[in-house]
Amino acid sequence: MTSSDTEQRRNIRRTALIMTGIAVAFYLGFILMGVLRS
Amino acid sequence: MSSTAADALDAHRNHDDHGPAKGIGRWLFTTNHKDIGTLYLIFSLVMFFAGGAMALVIRSELMNPGLQFVHPEFFNQMTTMHALIMVFGAVMPAFVGLANWMIPMMIGAPDMALPRMNNWSFWILPVAFGLLASTLLMPGGAPASGWTMYPPLVLQTGDAFPFLIFSVHLMGLSSIMGAINIIVTILNMRAPDMWLLKMPMFVWTWLITAYLLIAVMPVLAGAVTMLLTDQFFGTSFFLAAGGGDPVMFQHIFWFFGHPEVYIMILPAFGVVSEIIPTFSRKPLFGHDSMVYAASCIAFLSFIVWAHHMFTVGMPLSGQLFFMFATMLIAVPTGVKIFNWVATMWRGAMTFETPMLFSLAFVFLFTIGGFSGLMLAIAPADIQYHDTYFVVAHFHYVLVPGSIFAIMAAAYFWLPKWTGYMYNEAAGKLHFWSSTIFVNLTFFPMHFLGLAGMPRRIPDYSTQFADFNWMASIGAIGFGLSQLIFVYVLLTAKKGAKATDRVWEAPRGLEWTVPSPAPYHTFTTPPKARVEQESFK
Repeated sequence: MTSSDTEQRRNIRRTALIMTGIAVAFYLGFILMGVLRS
Repeated sequence: MSSTAADALDAHRNHDDHGPAKGIGRWLFTTNHKDIGTLYLIFSLVMFFAGGAMALVIRSELMNPGLQFVHPEFFNQMTTMHALIMVFGAVMPAFVGLANWMIPMMIGAPDMALPRMNNWSFWILPVAFGLLASTLLMPGGAPASGWTMYPPLVLQTGDAFPFLIFSVHLMGLSSIMGAINIIVTILNMRAPDMWLLKMPMFVWTWLITAYLLIAVMPVLAGAVTMLLTDQFFGTSFFLAAGGGDPVMFQHIFWFFGHPEVYIMILPAFGVVSEIIPTFSRKPLFGHDSMVYAASCIAFLSFIVWAHHMFTVGMPLSGQLFFMFATMLIAVPTGVKIFNWVATMWRGAMTFETPMLFSLAFVFLFTIGGFSGLMLAIAPADIQYHDTYFVVAHFHYVLVPGSIFAIMAAAYFWLPKWTGYMYNEAAGKLHFWSSTIFVNLTFFPMHFLGLAGMPRRIPDYSTQFADFNWMASIGAIGFGLSQLIFVYVLLTAKKGAKATDRVWEAPRGLEWTVPSPAPYHTFTTPPKARVEQESFK
């Protein structure tokens, strides 16, 4: 495995985690908004 | 365990077997982007026919005034299931299938970045739709409150309710996982020298679509989670009796629902942007402006949701904001239409089946866009709301819009997938019969709506009889026309052998690999080919 492979793997995992975080934030954020309004 | 494409490639290099696995295991456990793309496309076609059969139940009932074949309750179940199946089961998976097949090849990547998650993204879908379809056999039947699932009506669904909610959660999960995979793949696995603005338009539109999916599918999931807790856990998010607000559901739903429209149309823009230059034998006019226009459309899609709710009631300032913001979408959309026409201008055009479907897309989608502009006008919308004018509008956007683009893509890339040319005469017959019947089905609905026929009813006044009869004949003809497409698919390997480039003037890395595309492509990044295949 070359250093560029390792770098690519790290980038893939980082991007996937950021996107997952955004999705979870939208899911919980809208439920929280519902809680605050009801 | 291989969780990324680089891991999978390492594992792959360590095995002697370089072909696909044998038997059913190949399809159950595959991590290959081409296999998963094929699975998505087959699933989508099955759902297309299931949803189409439901549409034919609806049109048969509406062929004449009076109740003909089904109970009104079942009619409502059909409208709801037709919409859910077509949106989440047919159109979206078809575009994800095309993305799976083509994006890695277009950017010079060996596979999707997260191949195991890719397998999961697909296999969640049959479970979701199995759950949804099972509700047809339950006491009380399938959900019947419309695909919008407005409370308090949806809370009267009965036994099917938790199945509906769980099914929508699973569809959302599948879409989000697919979107994450597409973003990660595009951002991290492009061939060297393929910088972002060099990417083909199909890749660009899918990148933007994937961002939309990640932002709005969790919102839908949140909304249906709140419906679930209102029904079973004593909360009152949307129940007025408990201090909740049913209109809040509509706001949340349409915050998802309007970008969802663009999730179903932006990849179609990408497909058409690949096909028109190929058959005009010219580069795409204004590639960069197409990217910026798609980005503008995506941004604007987040700030127009309440145009679906003008009749619910809102302050005048709100009406004005949502009206003008909606109209603003016509500007970047106009840029795209202009660029497609400019691409064709003085091009050496030929009219093979993919080009015919793409031209019909440009013309007929524009009709859907114009009726959308009419609906954006708040005072006019109060007249049009919940009439067949709205049904005509969104079907013009989704059928000769999204579905024609999917058909165009299937014909365009089929020789690359199978290695053989499809039956062109059958393809053209499919195109002409589909185009004639789609207009016969949906164009009269404009007149029905303007005359005041409400949507989602199984019976109507006799004054609407003639146009309804025409629409039903058109729907039956359109349904039968799709059997020609099945014939084309079944005979797809009986034509002449396809060359690597398939067409006379295609551009892009996918045309540099043999036809059919090998099971593994671009295990070595295609650095030298990027510049000469560039769309710019």
